[in-house]
Amino acid sequence: MNEEIAFWILSAIAVLGALVAVRKRNLIHGVFALLVFFAGLSGLFLLLLAEFIAAVQVLVYIGAVGVLLLFAIMLTERVAGDDNRRMTSRGWRWGLVMAAAVFVVLLLRPIQKWPSPEPPQPIKPSVEELGKKLMNPYVVTLEVLALLLTAALIGAVTAAQGVRMPKEEDSQE
Amino acid sequence: MSLELLIDILIATVPLMLIFATLFAFTTWLERKALARIQNRIGPNKVGIPCTRIGLFGLGQPAADGIKMIFKENIVPRGADRLFHLLAPILALIPSMLVLCFLPLDFPWLNEDSVKAFLLDGAVIFFFAITGLNTLAVFMAGWASRNKYSLLGGMRAVAQMVSYEIPLVLSAVIVVMMVGSLNAGEIAGVQTGGNWFVFSPWGFAAFVIFFIAALAETNRSPFDLPEAESEIIAGYFTEYSGFKFALFFLAEYIAMFAISGLAVTLFLGGGDGPGLAVAPWLSAVWFLAKIFGFIAVMIWLRGTLPRLRVDQLMGFAWKFMLPISILNIFVAGFAWHAEQLGNRYITVITWVISLAVLYGAACGLNQLNRGKVRPREYKYAE
Repeated sequence: MNEEIAFWILSAIAVLGALVAVRKRNLIHGVFALLVFFAGLSGLFLLLLAEFIAAVQVLVYIGAVGVLLLFAIMLTERVAGDDNRRMTSRGWRWGLVMAAAVFVVLLLRPIQKWPSPEPPQPIKPSVEELGKKLMNPYVVTLEVLALLLTAALIGAVTAAQGVRMPKEEDSQE
Repeated sequence: MSLELLIDILIATVPLMLIFATLFAFTTWLERKALARIQNRIGPNKVGIPCTRIGLFGLGQPAADGIKMIFKENIVPRGADRLFHLLAPILALIPSMLVLCFLPLDFPWLNEDSVKAFLLDGAVIFFFAITGLNTLAVFMAGWASRNKYSLLGGMRAVAQMVSYEIPLVLSAVIVVMMVGSLNAGEIAGVQTGGNWFVFSPWGFAAFVIFFIAALAETNRSPFDLPEAESEIIAGYFTEYSGFKFALFFLAEYIAMFAISGLAVTLFLGGGDGPGLAVAPWLSAVWFLAKIFGFIAVMIWLRGTLPRLRVDQLMGFAWKFMLPISILNIFVAGFAWHAEQLGNRYITVITWVISLAVLYGAACGLNQLNRGKVRPREYKYAE
């Protein structure tokens, strides 16, 4: 009962946040509404006892992605927030179709009452279990991901530095 | 929700809020007094018991300040975003209050069945996740005021906090690696009996990195660029007055307590100290005393060090703190494996080698980062 009430409250927060994020014309308001959506999602993870994922959701999405978005907006001319340009994206019909398709696919299983592909095993959703899983069966995946991210990081730094002309360097000094 | 659970939650949370709010009031007085002594002044010494001439060394000053703050006019600039202007101080206070419950403070009134958030698997991750929200509040305040100085302060704060969060987390990783747990209670428990992490080369290096990054995270001097008075008035809270300003002030100090508390948990053994076998309630006292040690050092640094420049601040985070904290993780990993062997000689050799590596790396990075500074040329003087 308690969980159900909490679920509905958190879902309402998440859905409202997502709606405001899409509808707001003010960019900064939009970003903060998106962060409200992330917070609601993290609450839903907590409700599923996935505390690690909830914490990472806050850490990565609110703490990093949100700040990154604000950072990017700060560097544009629209940091003041007031923007009355009308923007209509041409592809919104396709977006609607895609959204409906994803929704239907997600609903297929409960509607058709398909048996789940493998019987759910009782697992302890703990940080310790997660760590053991990451270090034992999925260690190669983890390492590949880490390598990919490092490559992306180095690439970003290189791209940000740009190509330096030797002549310019001389004139600076 | 059952009544017992509600009472348990209240027992776990209300004392934290009361104790740390009281400590905040005391700390503001302590800071003003200490800074005054450093600058050869007396500091607040008038406000004591009302309607008498008893001064009590000015201990009534925080209460007087609080009353003044509440009754001050609340001014919102005409161009400001009213909703965000109101929300920002609240958003600043909530995360700093929330993370207090992840500190392993074993109060005597907590028993086996009490709600203890610090025993959560992942308490340390939660701590970092929720502390990160402070950045958003600062940006919100700077942006909502619609004032160029506020916005500049907000931008500086975001850049600074994002940069220093990385060495902060990376230095905490070492302790997590050594203990093999993210549970704050367990991390403090491993260090009982003087077995603190600060007493090892890698632990000490991590502790210093953590402390410097914590100073930057809480916008304390010498990293108080977001509120540099001489450059941008008061930074992100230029347009705040009255009680909203007081909330920012409170949030900043509570965040200081919280991050010092985490440093105590990770490196200084939590509530560990002499006399625990006789009186277990001393644990909370030791914990708070260690936090106050940190606060005292922070006040001391504020009275002593000049403020950094923006390029120095960023260069220090990315070119010095980040490489050395990553190197420290490797050193700690090798040291952990060496200590698993259980041989005393190998342990000693590991200590010497890791000390040499860390010291050499620090010196080398210092040399690398030293700008090409030529001796000053005097044109009009000899």
